[in-house]
Amino acid sequence: MKKFFIHVYDLTAFSLRFFKEAVLPPYEFGEFAGHLENFGSRSFPLVSVIGLLMGLILALQTKPTLARFGAESFLPAMVAISVVRELGPVITALVVAGRVSSGIGAEIGSMKVTEQVDALEVSSVDPYRFLVVPRVLAGIIALPLLTAYADFLGIIGAFLVMFVSGGMGWQLFITSTIRSLSIADVIPGIGKTFFFGYIIAIVGSYFGFKASGGTEGVGKAATSAVVFASFLILITDFVLVKLGILLFE
Amino acid sequence: MIEIGGLHKSFGAQRVLMGLNLSVSNGETFSILGKSGSGKSVMLKCIVGLMLPDAGDITVDSMRVDADDRKTLKQIRRMIGFLFQGGALYDSMTIRENLIFNLTRHHKVKHSEASEKAAHYLTLVGLPDFIDKMPSELSGGMRKRAALARALVIEPQILLYDEPTTGLDPITSAEIGELIREMHDRFKVTGIVVTHDILCAGIVSDRAGVLKDGLLKYTGALNELVQIEDKEIKGFFRKPI
Repeated sequence: MKKFFIHVYDLTAFSLRFFKEAVLPPYEFGEFAGHLENFGSRSFPLVSVIGLLMGLILALQTKPTLARFGAESFLPAMVAISVVRELGPVITALVVAGRVSSGIGAEIGSMKVTEQVDALEVSSVDPYRFLVVPRVLAGIIALPLLTAYADFLGIIGAFLVMFVSGGMGWQLFITSTIRSLSIADVIPGIGKTFFFGYIIAIVGSYFGFKASGGTEGVGKAATSAVVFASFLILITDFVLVKLGILLFE
Repeated sequence: MIEIGGLHKSFGAQRVLMGLNLSVSNGETFSILGKSGSGKSVMLKCIVGLMLPDAGDITVDSMRVDADDRKTLKQIRRMIGFLFQGGALYDSMTIRENLIFNLTRHHKVKHSEASEKAAHYLTLVGLPDFIDKMPSELSGGMRKRAALARALVIEPQILLYDEPTTGLDPITSAEIGELIREMHDRFKVTGIVVTHDILCAGIVSDRAGVLKDGLLKYTGALNELVQIEDKEIKGFFRKPI
C-alpha cells in the first residue's frame, strides 16, 4: 500500500512537470510527428474494429429488450447517447492504453536500463523534454480524433444491426440519431478524451523512467503502465462525468 | 584536469564510496580496477553529474560539478565524451544519427558538417561501411566501436570509459584497448577507464588504481601494482590459464 502511495506522489510530480516543460524550447517537432503517427495512425485498425463491434454488440443486446416494450425506434438514440457520452471515449481510451501506454513504458524502460536515457543526459538533452513531452502532446491530440472516429463507427455498427434485421432504413436511423444528440452529449464525451490521452502517455512515460533491473524491469514497466493508466482513466471518467452533470444538466 | 576529493555515496544502508580521492592530470589515462559493485561506475557517473554524491567535491578543469548549476554542468559535459558499458547507442536511430545527434544539438554544428565528421570518426574506428546501419544490426564489438566513435566525434578533452571491454571476447577486447590507446595518443585527451579487465588496463593506462572498500587504494603504474601483496589485487593479475 505504501508503494502505491509513493507511486501516486511521484506520478503527480512527474505529471505536473509536463506543464512547465511543454512551453519551454527546444520544441521537438520531429519527435512529436513520429509519436503522433504511432499514437494515432497505428491505433487506427484496432480502434476501427473495436468501434464497429461496440455498436454492433450494443444494438444486438438492447434490441430485444426495447422490442418487448415496443420501443425499437428509440434504439438509434440510445446507442448514440451511450456511445458518444460514455462507451466510445472510455473503451477507446482503454484499448489505446493497452496498446500505447505499455509500448511507451517498454520503450522508455528499455532506454533507461540500457543507459540511453543517461546518454541523452550527458549530451545535455533533457530526457523529459525529449522523450515525454512529444509523447504526451501526441496523446492529447490523437485520442480525441480516434474517439470521434470510434463513435462514428459505433453508430454505423448499430445501424447495420437495425438494417439487417429489417427494422430501420438509413434515413430514419440517421435522423433519429442526430435528433437525439445534443452539444451537451458531444462536448463532455470528446472533452474527457484530452485527459485520457494525457493519462495514457504520462503514465507510460512515468513507469518507463522508473524501470530498473534489465528486461524484467522493462516488462514490469509495461504491465504497470497499462494497469495504472486503465485505473486512472476510469477514476478520471467518474470525476468528469460528475462534473459534466453539474455543468451541463 | 580532474580532481575528486572526499567523495561519499551511499544507496540506503549500502555505503559505496567512502571518501574517495583522485587526481588525473591533463593528457593522462587513469584506469580504475575493482570488483563488480565496488562503485567504479558510480564514481564516473558522479563526474558527469548523472548521480549526486552525498559529500565531496569534484572539479573538472577547475569547474565544480554541481547539479544545481546547470550552466556549468552543461559546460563540463561539453568537454566530456562518455563510453557507456553497453554502448548506449540510441536504438531508434542509425549509427550516423547517433553520431550527429550530440553534435547538432549540444555543439551547434551544422548538419552537413556533422555528417562528414561522423563518417570520419567511423572510419577511424574501422566502421566506414556501417554508417547507415541500425545499432541492432551490429555485433557487440562493432557497437562498442560505434559508441567510441560517438564519444570521440564531439572532440572532447576528456573521455570516460565505463567497462569498455565487458562482454567481448579477449581478441576484440584487446582491439578495443588498442583503439582507445591510439585515440588517446592521437588526440591527447585525458581519460578515466573503469574496468576489471587487466588486459585492457595494461594497454590503455598510464597509471592505475584499485577501488576497494569505497576508497582508491594503491595508485601507481600497473607494473607497481603487480608487486603489492594484497589477495584481492593479486586476483586481478592472476593468469587465467
